[in-house]
Amino acid sequence: MFQFFFKYPGPVFSRGRLVLLSAWPAWLLPVLILAAAAFIAWLLRRPRGEAAPALGNWRTLVVWAMQSALVGIILVLLWQPAMTVGELNSQQNIIAVVLDDSRSMSLPDRGAASRESSAIAALEKNILPGLQQRFQTRMYTLGEALTQVPSPHGIAPLEPATHLDSGLKQLADETSELPVGAVLLLTDGGQNGAELGRSEISPEVIQELRNRRLPVHTVGFGNPEAGHDLEIEDVSLASGAVANARVTATITLKQYGYLGQKATLSVRDGEKTLAQREVDLQPDGRLQTEPLSFSAGAAGAKRLTFGIAPLAGEENQANNAMTRPFLVSDARRRILYIEGEPRWEYKFIRRAEDGDPTVQIVSMLRTSENKIYRQGISSPDELSQGFPSRAEDLFAYTGIIVGSVAADYFTPVQQELLREFVDRRGGGILFLGGSSALSDGGWAASSLGDLLPTFLPQGNHNFHRNAATVELTPAGLDSPITRLLDDPEKNGERWKKLAYLADFEDPGTPKPGATELVDMHAGRRKLPLLVTQNYGHGRTAILATGGTWRWQMSEALGDPSHDLFWQQLLRWLVGETPGPVTASMPARLLQDEGRVRLIAQVRNRDFQPAADARVTAHIVGPANSDSVIDLTPSPDTQGQYQADWTAEKPGAYLAEVVAQSSGTPPQELGRDVVTFQREDGIAENFHTAQNRQLLQHLSAATGGRYWNPSDLKNLPREISYSDAGISARTTKELWDMPIVFMLLLGLPLGEWLLRRKWGVL
Amino acid sequence: MRPRHLALAIAAAACSAGVCALQRTADFGFGNDDSPANAKAEFYWSRLAYSSRMSAMQGFGSYSHRGWYNSWSRDYPKADRQFLIAMHRLTRIEGRPTEQVVTLDSDEIFNYPWIYAVQVQNWSFTDAEAKRLRDYLLKGGFLMVDDFHGTEDWENFMNGMRQVLPQSPVEDLHSGDEIFHTLYDIDDKMQIPGEQYVWTGRTYEKDGYQPKWRAIRDDKGRIVVAICHNMHLGDAWEWADDPNYPETFASMAFRVGLDYIIYGMTH
Repeated sequence: MFQFFFKYPGPVFSRGRLVLLSAWPAWLLPVLILAAAAFIAWLLRRPRGEAAPALGNWRTLVVWAMQSALVGIILVLLWQPAMTVGELNSQQNIIAVVLDDSRSMSLPDRGAASRESSAIAALEKNILPGLQQRFQTRMYTLGEALTQVPSPHGIAPLEPATHLDSGLKQLADETSELPVGAVLLLTDGGQNGAELGRSEISPEVIQELRNRRLPVHTVGFGNPEAGHDLEIEDVSLASGAVANARVTATITLKQYGYLGQKATLSVRDGEKTLAQREVDLQPDGRLQTEPLSFSAGAAGAKRLTFGIAPLAGEENQANNAMTRPFLVSDARRRILYIEGEPRWEYKFIRRAEDGDPTVQIVSMLRTSENKIYRQGISSPDELSQGFPSRAEDLFAYTGIIVGSVAADYFTPVQQELLREFVDRRGGGILFLGGSSALSDGGWAASSLGDLLPTFLPQGNHNFHRNAATVELTPAGLDSPITRLLDDPEKNGERWKKLAYLADFEDPGTPKPGATELVDMHAGRRKLPLLVTQNYGHGRTAILATGGTWRWQMSEALGDPSHDLFWQQLLRWLVGETPGPVTASMPARLLQDEGRVRLIAQVRNRDFQPAADARVTAHIVGPANSDSVIDLTPSPDTQGQYQADWTAEKPGAYLAEVVAQSSGTPPQELGRDVVTFQREDGIAENFHTAQNRQLLQHLSAATGGRYWNPSDLKNLPREISYSDAGISARTTKELWDMPIVFMLLLGLPLGEWLLRRKWGVL
Repeated sequence: MRPRHLALAIAAAACSAGVCALQRTADFGFGNDDSPANAKAEFYWSRLAYSSRMSAMQGFGSYSHRGWYNSWSRDYPKADRQFLIAMHRLTRIEGRPTEQVVTLDSDEIFNYPWIYAVQVQNWSFTDAEAKRLRDYLLKGGFLMVDDFHGTEDWENFMNGMRQVLPQSPVEDLHSGDEIFHTLYDIDDKMQIPGEQYVWTGRTYEKDGYQPKWRAIRDDKGRIVVAICHNMHLGDAWEWADDPNYPETFASMAFRVGLDYIIYGMTH
């Protein structure tokens, strides 16, 4: 239809450039058009005799517009407009035809056995005969890599992955010396990368194609929307946790055809189901995010499978599960607990942590004015001089609990160390309520006031030995710190029924950015009980009581509430505290590729970046593969070391990074473990619907066009408009376009008809 | 006095003592009474008022040359208050200056994680009381028993203890045990006699010639019952201000008591 009115196909106008062939100056054209329009306006508005029929204002405007348009068209035609467009020379160019042969192309297509058979049929019937009349064609298949093939015959969709990125780059590189006029890509757009945000063509590849002016025409196969399908889109999970910790994964899923139904999410470690729960499915195609909590279990490198149970009639069940590597550590994290007076809270906190193999409390208790009773120490020297005054001593702990201790018990040096402990070292400090704690201990006026997550109240009589009941805030309902029961609603009810606290202290009001997890009711007052915040690289919290021990003594024997709460609170306190060596990698799940960058941040005993360390990684992989690599200092970040390595085989890998000082003899600074996994052929199971958006973007960005398989008859002709390869610019005059003649006739005719209707001829 | 009048007098005295005990055991510091006598504190010296076999035979209490007494209230309250004075002077424990009597009749006992019992050869428990004391100890409560002597007293004490913790063995404590090193390092212990030492010169009573420092532990090795057998620390606290009672015994008794309290508040 477009070509019927405009004589030429769309690419002539979209890719070409408008020129005026007349020798008259171009600037004169708009001047004359404006002058003509003004003259017509003057003619229409000039006073005329009373006998002349009058036009109303808007009718005058319509007549003026039509007459001006007519004069304008005539003037434009006098300047001889034309389009110049690059056009491939016949029989001198190559069209690269690229056919996706990944496994997703084997899925059924509308009315055909598979997407691949639809594509081959389109090639053989509609595309290749037309192209080969004017061009040479070069046939490629694209899966994990680009491969040239003689013809579409015998191509089978067996490739385990689709790497459009690297395939197009390879094509551009390999044909840089050839007169390739255009690329024709037949695919479902299933660029691999099951994780969200990875299904795009990289800007570098697009830029390379644009530099060569190489248009990519895409033909999309497959339904853009699945009929009946559940799909796990992504699983967000921490790289690891301490043994038996409560862990929350965030699962993103999508469904088609099951709106309003229920489905069961689960997480499994091998054959063992760690947790599962039902979810209500949201509208078709909408990304749905669901949390799933589970216990990390025993220590070890694990491969967790997150899945959604298939529903009846589901077309593709291979995308219902996704795996993630997960490292459960049994390293004991040491927490320093300083308590200013013997009290029951101290005893029951220690007892709660007796049941947690991942946390060890090292405590110093002021039993008398000049005596300190130490527990949990690793040597007689530990804390023998009281609270640490050197960074290397204090920073050996991962968390600190400050009980009923006045601020002035700490020297200015120790106070600064406490701040550094949180801010720079990344540790956690928990402040408890008590007769010498918080505002009653002079903390509001201390230099560490900004470390606290609340604005402390005035005065020093804010601690009361009166009962207070507790209640979760909305943020506390499903917080991993306060989760006594998995169901948030039941969890809230459980907290309301907990025994009352033996005492409480008014902690003031939470600071902006702090999170209030638990409230307490003391008489008619409602006060924050548990408030947390991030501070610098670490975190701080206030638990404004010394009386949670009643939960242990007054609840039924065997009730886990007290111990579970304290274990969760202290794991939160130290769970994210880094060690001297922190190993990481940009992606722990490698899909169909083995390249990995291992990064280690190394700090010395003062937790300053260690610039001269020797860092090695011992990597253990599948089939007992074993490698030791050296990490080299990063030029950009002091104390950071990195190495590139390739995981050759699919499977689970574990890398232990060890840093040693450069002195003689070398001393170990620390070590860390990171796990990662290479998966081959899994990604093709995901995102199986046609990614039309990606194909349209690729075509538009390179000057090509997206084509429907059912509308390919103009493709061989339109593909010839390209500036790549061997092309010549041709000039297409526009004066004889049918639309011009229609306007020249239609405008005066329209005016006459309107005037006749208005009775003002 | 005619027997009928004597019975009435005994009944009236028993009622008075009962009312007095009820007043002391009700509202253990968690009520709204802020009077100094009922001040709220972190630590309450909690004396266990148990029902005794003697009570079953003789009524609520019996009469001795010292006047009316109950088995559980031996040395009460002077021993308790003198110990609390020492505790305030020598530690940072914020304790109430007056004692607290607790019973096994209600769950109020769970508000007091440290209890002291004497004359435990006389105690007896109903099944409910035994279960409550067992729960108390397994949740984290601590019991110190004192002032019982000789073989027969031991057997009677153990009869009650087997009702509470039937499977838990009793073991002898050694000088290296942590309970003797929490506040003071007590390596050279001695038998601490009662007041009778002043006029008899004997450190033992009945056939309890040797001091027995014993304990029952929970399944994690923490002492939950500290047993001072063939000793009378309560008398040593009570008579610490008597010039005839040797200071050595009194000092040792205070040190042991403080170590036990600190242990009970830390383990």
